[in-house]
Amino acid sequence: MATDLISSLILVIRNFVLLIFSPYKTMRKISLEKDYYQLLIISGLVFLYFKFIYFLRDKPYPATLIFLFFLFNFLLTTSFFYLINKFFNSKKNETSFFSYIFTFCYTLFPTLIWFLSTSMLYIFLPPPRTFSNLGKGFSIFFIAYSLSLLIWKLILVYLAVRFSSRQTFFRVFYMIILYLIWFIPYSIFLYQFKLFRIPFI
Amino acid sequence: MKNINFRMRQKMNEVFSVEPNDLGVSFMTDFFKKITIYLKTAPFVFVVPLTILISLFLYIIFGGLLVRLVTILQYGY
Repeated sequence: MATDLISSLILVIRNFVLLIFSPYKTMRKISLEKDYYQLLIISGLVFLYFKFIYFLRDKPYPATLIFLFFLFNFLLTTSFFYLINKFFNSKKNETSFFSYIFTFCYTLFPTLIWFLSTSMLYIFLPPPRTFSNLGKGFSIFFIAYSLSLLIWKLILVYLAVRFSSRQTFFRVFYMIILYLIWFIPYSIFLYQFKLFRIPFI
Repeated sequence: MKNINFRMRQKMNEVFSVEPNDLGVSFMTDFFKKITIYLKTAPFVFVVPLTILISLFLYIIFGGLLVRLVTILQYGY
């Protein structure tokens, strides 16, 4: 088991690096993945993140509870795309639910990096930002950095839906629009309960 | 030899697991393919300069609001 876990960890690191340099090919490969330890490692990283921010936030919910909510949201998202694809699809194109799980699990990387780096910056460069030249410079850098990760995330989400559902561009686009129609009000609802400030993870 | 054939077949199955995108109008399909070439391999080469330009543009347009937005985002972890 330990060797399986180590080899899966190496594969996760490899896939992560390859998602930076060749997201298309890598996501295509991930959609055919069968190594379930990789899911365990990525969800473990998310859990560690929740444990880490537990000590930074004021009056937080326990990390385990937030993690359970994350798992619920994640399964809700993947199930939505799986079921909507079943609805769109004819019988000839059968897709696997685990393909959605794997690809969506890897789309968590940009958000995980953003949340982790922002929480680190909160320690080393705590807000509020000032209107000095350094403050303005940092703000421009931070926006560029966040936008880069957001674009990467959008590319990965598009590829995740594309390779899991095996649909063409317009159908993937419609599926994402349908998802956002319920996900945005749902995120606001979660925000009201202070469960998620920015609900991408 | 058998191993090479097996790998070739596996690779072919992987590559053709999705049908190519067709946007209906040929010039749109061509345009889509031209753009996505840059996003399929090393997207950050194009994304990073683009986002720097966008954030500079946003700073020129919104000024101090951008600094306030960063403050809000920094509380958003």
